[in-house]
Amino acid sequence: MDVRNNRRQAGGSSVVTANRLLDGRIVWLAEDGAWSGRIDAAQVFSNDGIEAVIDTATRRQQADGVVGVYGVQIGDDSTTPVPVTVRERIRAFGPTVHPEFATLTEGPPDVR
Amino acid sequence: MSAEILATPDTGAAPVGHYAYDQVDRAFLHDRVEQFRDQVARRLSGALSEDEFKPLRLMNGLYLQLHAYMLRVAIPYGILDSRQMRELAHIARTYDRDYGHFTTRQNIQFNWIRLEDTPDILARLAAVDMHAIQTSGNCIRNITCDQFAGAAVDELLDPRVHAEILRQWSTLHPEFSFLPRKFKIAISGSPNDRVAARFHDIGLVAKPGRHGTVFDVFVGGGMGRTPVVGVHLRDNLPEEDLLAYLEAMVRVYNEYGRRDNIYKARIKILVQALSAEGYREKVDAEFAAMDRARYRLPPETVAAIRARFGTPVLDAPSDAADRLAEARRTDALFDRWVRTNTHPHRAAGYISAVVSLKPDGGIPGDATSAQIDAIADIADRFSFGEIRISHMQNIVLGHVRQDQLHALWQELGRAGLASANIGLIGDIIACPGLDYCSLANARSIPIAQKLSARFANPALQERIGDLQIKISGCINACGHHHAGHIGILGVDKKGEEFFQLTLGGSAGNDAAIGQILGPALPEDATVDAIAHLVDAYLVHRTDGERFLDTYRRLGAALFKDAVYALA
Ligand code: HEM
Ligand code: SF4
Repeated sequence: MDVRNNRRQAGGSSVVTANRLLDGRIVWLAEDGAWSGRIDAAQVFSNDGIEAVIDTATRRQQADGVVGVYGVQIGDDSTTPVPVTVRERIRAFGPTVHPEFATLTEGPPDVR
Repeated sequence: MSAEILATPDTGAAPVGHYAYDQVDRAFLHDRVEQFRDQVARRLSGALSEDEFKPLRLMNGLYLQLHAYMLRVAIPYGILDSRQMRELAHIARTYDRDYGHFTTRQNIQFNWIRLEDTPDILARLAAVDMHAIQTSGNCIRNITCDQFAGAAVDELLDPRVHAEILRQWSTLHPEFSFLPRKFKIAISGSPNDRVAARFHDIGLVAKPGRHGTVFDVFVGGGMGRTPVVGVHLRDNLPEEDLLAYLEAMVRVYNEYGRRDNIYKARIKILVQALSAEGYREKVDAEFAAMDRARYRLPPETVAAIRARFGTPVLDAPSDAADRLAEARRTDALFDRWVRTNTHPHRAAGYISAVVSLKPDGGIPGDATSAQIDAIADIADRFSFGEIRISHMQNIVLGHVRQDQLHALWQELGRAGLASANIGLIGDIIACPGLDYCSLANARSIPIAQKLSARFANPALQERIGDLQIKISGCINACGHHHAGHIGILGVDKKGEEFFQLTLGGSAGNDAAIGQILGPALPEDATVDAIAHLVDAYLVHRTDGERFLDTYRRLGAALFKDAVYALA
């Protein structure tokens, strides 16, 4: 996986993401190891333990029907996880040029 | 389809503007679809891992992008017929989110495709003689062509027959499926370069010679991380040697091109490393040693391929031009659109119309299913059912009767397709950028939208004149920013988007690579900066001078001040 998509600082927290194999749509690792289409359902992990979580999820990829598992650093200051990079905010909330495709109607639509 | 060119006699009526497939082509496509159906099934069952499957899906044009799979469908030399166009609309409506994106490589991309639907989509495409082969991977990609081919008054020779010959030669060429890197060929038959021949791995310009068709050959141009203007490799290559010489060119690349570093793998790097002279020597040696008879392109083969192209019967009434002139006199809006969105035709009473896919504030190159259908209908009514995709991400209807142009324009208006901005500041090229692309640093589309909204006023656009803005979301340069009069490149600074401006690029006969103006700017400042650049140009230009000419005459300092001195 591209390091650019996987950068993290020590001490922060992250969520885990992938694309669904069948339709390519973005998913987030939620409670109990399920994958959700919504980032607000994602389980938040401390960066200290995240590599192990990513490893486990990667090994389960085929069984879970996902591809390209990696971790996404989020900001510390909100209740809904909001990724720190524009790229991951676009993945989480949908393409900015099509507001009607927003993944969370009540989520922050402005990714900037 | 192999290295041999097939040209079996045709039975049915050939579509105007492109080659009519035969049963061999159709059987081949059918087999490819079924093969992929099986591969998808094996991927879903887990029999194939993602690492094993990825190259297979890429060979069928299926990428995994940010939000979903993206399917890139080939449109050979950018020409399709209304039946194929309607199938694209159907796919957009049924399998995607009701729109498609026309690209600078004259293809179409669908952004929201499901893996499990892809075999069915490919089967639908195959039913109308279309596919997604060679739209990805290190092979010879879709061959691009002048959007006014076979129509333009300045054309010396219709290059599409040779584009088709090259398509057949390159399709699944046994030696060239695993080149060091992707390979892009463009061909034109006009002395005015509208295909960016000097920015392709190989650029060809066809013209009549003393004993038949000959070609000027450019090599080693390209965008990307290392932009290079191609070098002129040779003049007057005889038609019968076209395939042999190209074969030699690609063989030398295949043998000496670097495979250890993807950033140094394109032919442009090889040509630089060997020098143009050194590369030419190796090609000539290969050419001299090879089995030339095997690759000889005899006039009969060219004629047989030509016979499989439908040709339009051009018989406009003698008063067609007068009736167009009359319509222009009485309808100022139409007159403006004709000024910007048409191109002179070789036949009396005809004209080529350009349908802008750049509405004010819109997404460059996007069209809804309804618009794609509308264009198919309009093409049937006004242009022999023939449709061309331009590398500027617009659509061209090649052969329109001048007395019918006003009616055509009204139909376009009803479909929301009558923007009058071709070649002007609103005619922006933008790559998908960070809104879709997994390689992107920054978003390209929102800047294009803001600029096109800011300069929406048609009188202002006409006053500014010829100005090409090209935007790429990363250094891969899919949006051709290096060749923009004003280029915009997205860069990533700690996860935030910034934009670098380049000035002075050009894709035409005067091909040049834009030079970086100064430090990268945030998005809104970038839009303002371009407004300042335009203001500076309007103040300093002399009569009839394009932005590019003013920049070349006065240099960067003035423009640099206009952007950075204010801060
Ligand atoms: C969204 C998915 C896309 C991906 C992943 C992608 C990827 C790339 C990459 C990696 C390169 C650099 C190749 C190299 O220098 O060796 C490239 C170049 C290019 N792409 Fe794309 N691209 C995408 C979309 C597009 C689109 C939509 C267009 C047309 C608008 C396009 C047209 C081009 C062109 C013209 C080049 C420059 C050719 C050259 O290097 O000389 N690409 N692309
Ligand atoms: S230039 Fe970069 S961001 Fe734009 S489409 Fe190409 S790879 Fe993606």
